[in-house]
Amino acid sequence: MNGGEVTLGRTARLYIGAAVLRLALFTIFPGLPDLLTGRVEVSTPVTSFKRLQEGLFLYNHNVSPYDGGVYHQAPLFLPLFSLLPSSATFPIFTYLLYVAVDLLSADALLKIADSGEAVSSRLFTSPRREKRWSGFVIAAVYLFNPFTIATCLGRSTSVFTTCAILHAISKAIAGAPISAMIALSFASYLSMYPLLLLPPLLLLGYDRRPAADRTSPIAFTSKHVLVVAGIHSALFGMSYLITGSWEFLRSTYGVQLTLSDLTPNVGLWWYFFIEMFDSFRSFFLAVFWLHLSSYVGGLCVRIRTQPLVVLTLLLGIFAIFKPYPSIADVSLFLAMMPLYRHVFPLMRYTFVVAAVVMYATFLGPAFYHLWIYAGSGNANFFYAITLVWGLGLSLMVCDLTFAILRDEWEVERPEMVGKEIRQI
Amino acid sequence: MPRLLSGAFRLKNDPRILKLPPYLSLLCLLVGIAWLLLLPLDNYSRRTYISENALLPGQVHTYFGGSDQNVFRAYKHEVNSLADSNATNPAINDKLSEIFAGIGLKTARQRYGYRSTSSGVEAHGENIYAILPAPRGDATEAIVLVAAWRNVKGEVNKNGVALLLTLARYFRRWSLWSKDIVFLVTPDSAAGPQAWVDAYHDELHGGRVGSLPVKGGALQGAVAVDFAREGRFRSVHVAYDGVNGQLPNLDLINSVVSIAGGQMGMGVGIQEMWEQRDGYRERLDTMLRGMLKQGLGAASGPHSAFIPYHVDAVTLQPYGEGWQDEMAMGRVIEGTFRSLNNLLEKLHQSFFFYLLMGTERFVSIGTYLPSAMLVAANFTIMAIALWVKSGQPEGEVVPGLEGKKGEKARLVTERHLFLPLGVVTVAQALGVVPLWVFNHTPASLQTTVFAVFLVLNTALPHVLSAILTRTYNPTTQQYQLITSFSLLLLGMFLSSLATLNFSLALIVGLLSSPLSFVRPAGRVAWSVPLAIISPPAVLALTTAVVKDGGLAPVGDVLREAAFGWDVMGMYTPVVVWCVWWPAWLVGNLVVLGRPGRKDKVA
Repeated sequence: MNGGEVTLGRTARLYIGAAVLRLALFTIFPGLPDLLTGRVEVSTPVTSFKRLQEGLFLYNHNVSPYDGGVYHQAPLFLPLFSLLPSSATFPIFTYLLYVAVDLLSADALLKIADSGEAVSSRLFTSPRREKRWSGFVIAAVYLFNPFTIATCLGRSTSVFTTCAILHAISKAIAGAPISAMIALSFASYLSMYPLLLLPPLLLLGYDRRPAADRTSPIAFTSKHVLVVAGIHSALFGMSYLITGSWEFLRSTYGVQLTLSDLTPNVGLWWYFFIEMFDSFRSFFLAVFWLHLSSYVGGLCVRIRTQPLVVLTLLLGIFAIFKPYPSIADVSLFLAMMPLYRHVFPLMRYTFVVAAVVMYATFLGPAFYHLWIYAGSGNANFFYAITLVWGLGLSLMVCDLTFAILRDEWEVERPEMVGKEIRQI
Repeated sequence: MPRLLSGAFRLKNDPRILKLPPYLSLLCLLVGIAWLLLLPLDNYSRRTYISENALLPGQVHTYFGGSDQNVFRAYKHEVNSLADSNATNPAINDKLSEIFAGIGLKTARQRYGYRSTSSGVEAHGENIYAILPAPRGDATEAIVLVAAWRNVKGEVNKNGVALLLTLARYFRRWSLWSKDIVFLVTPDSAAGPQAWVDAYHDELHGGRVGSLPVKGGALQGAVAVDFAREGRFRSVHVAYDGVNGQLPNLDLINSVVSIAGGQMGMGVGIQEMWEQRDGYRERLDTMLRGMLKQGLGAASGPHSAFIPYHVDAVTLQPYGEGWQDEMAMGRVIEGTFRSLNNLLEKLHQSFFFYLLMGTERFVSIGTYLPSAMLVAANFTIMAIALWVKSGQPEGEVVPGLEGKKGEKARLVTERHLFLPLGVVTVAQALGVVPLWVFNHTPASLQTTVFAVFLVLNTALPHVLSAILTRTYNPTTQQYQLITSFSLLLLGMFLSSLATLNFSLALIVGLLSSPLSFVRPAGRVAWSVPLAIISPPAVLALTTAVVKDGGLAPVGDVLREAAFGWDVMGMYTPVVVWCVWWPAWLVGNLVVLGRPGRKDKVA
């Protein structure tokens, strides 16, 4: 009992520390939040806090928030943020909301880590399971990750999506698939792409049901898909009531599907679609989206035994290939990474990946400055560095995949443990 | 491909390959330096040329002269009387405003006051400017003529201001201007122009700078006149370095060189090379001076403030004994303004990144960047090498694996990352302390504070090393990782910086190059050469050598740095204290470290 109390106290101290750090950064550097909000690495057209303010202003003046083509976020943000005092006069309430969301995400992550699902799922138990970090460490890594802090300070609305995704995973692990589906529906309502996480999440939820409750997979799937559809229709209905038209569908999900806002970001889409002739646009949109969603099926089948791995890898892939990625997506992937501490020794490029990602982190803003402010560089500078960033992240995802597969393989082929292998 | 890969794998396990990186990194350094020394050769540098055809420098007749000389004398008389009576800034502006009004120009004034009691930065005054609306344009673009009342050295810019007034009257008579012309007189050469440009672009810095009541079009270019000397002169000196080492478009410098040198037949000098010769030594000297100026990133004249706003600007200073008079100087400005007037869009054709090694020779970024990148790469190579090395088992034979020879190299021991990461993070965070201290020390105390800091800085590594050994007793592997992370960060910062300010990155890179070869030696003797290349020691030594006066000039340098940081947004102090200093501190810690015995790794 005493031990339990100590851990609780320790976690509480971690949360307080993280909250104090964020509030201190908010208050000591009052210019910092607005600076970060303006950075393309933090804010994308579909998550920017500045654009949210614009939408909020229009909404509060009884104009459709989607007029003017600036606001591309979900309508339900508007009543939420108009309940808070204006962020221009009393920014502290907005700050508190964002800090609270970060802490909620960390809490979900802590539960995911403590469940041990990452090292031993229903169908697979890693031989290296002893070597793992506690939920406390993983939550700490998440909360003190500079990318997470920058996202929180930049008040990007993707923190809500992150929170919803982490809660969906944690609920699925806790054996409450209905709640998981509700959380996932919120995530995909806010930013659409989390819908692609539905298949692995269903697998995870199914695996984590107590054996007695495990009904037929088809019944399980159809029931939970129905729940997702139901929650979505409810949310859409509410959005319709709030905005008074279905226009929001086109302005939020339509923008993501057709990439009509070409503001630069750290992703790979914007430059490609700026350069493209209009006649090819729809074809390549289809190709890019097909590419993004094609990973879901493959990974679900190949790593069926470890659905949490599939979720992690998909989050990494989304952080690279989705239409409007930002460092918020990377921080979510990096939050899930430490769950696989046990396979870290099997990874081969840790140092290279860390170096590449860090180089890109510093060179990105430098090249953006040369392009936009100094006027001595051009768009190619920034795009080149986003390519490097994408390369670093994809190496990281590949390396993690390799380590996970090797871990599985060593269970099947114990005689190969510690041997050098070659990929051909 | 598979064969190539397997070859690479075999190579990876070769123990010889691990001996290579220090030599490779030394080679990078040497090639980087040699590269730099090659640049002045004819084969590596290029002749300058005008890229923007619209400029047509020196292609128009200049008519300034004749009766304008009498006008000049009259204005000179007014300016002299103001200067001799030690008139206050507002009194000068009253008089100037009267003159501008007499010419028929709209004038306006702007107050500014940079003052923070904590940092000892104090500059305030009032700018005055007049706008000549474009007779043939629609007020969308403007060019600026600046004359600071006091030049960088603090002398009264008598001829400069008088020339500005005369040119204002002269330009007023022409109907060919297609851009607004702004005539700006600032009380000093740093804060005044900065305040004016900031306000022109609506950066009011929380009320420290007054807003401008009258504005023209978007600024396209600026020329500053620094003509404090009396009598006839031989040549014109073109100062072109902006804040943080940003440079104006090369076309602007080329135009001035071609107008002054080609059309007017006067000499042109750059980088304070008063003697004009064109040999290897002179070119190298010019280039190195330019790099040093660029690296320090301080303002070199009233033009410097314009460059961060992407307004190309230069300062013209007459020098030398010759037979050129004020009218010739006026014609150079007239010619330059006629060229700028021709522009259809901002100067963009020519280079923004270049090193000049004479008025008519330059190298562009593609040619010189590799040298800084090689220097930065040397750190990264060592970082990677140390990382790989830290994963190798320490003892030759791992128990239980004796007979398996080939296996040994591949076995990677577990790395203990937390302590190295912690040490490097703490060192980086400590860098904020000197940065804050030197930017918040009152000007009068700078020298004292610096002396104290110099002493503390020498003792700091020893204290920290003692604490580190006492409490954690890091192993060899951990020291390797500490060095690796620190070098990785340094290499990363420097290669990012090289794209913004090449010279600063190269200077810091060269000064910290010994850090890539540090090993835990546990001997105090090794820390002596390192103490000499510590940032404060280098600062003290160079100022003592350049300005020969012990520690006193250091105070001036620091004051200027604090001013640059506070007013002009100069980031050199950040680089010194948050990039260079932490790397040096970690390097010194490693040298002083006595690696403990490795704990038993299961």
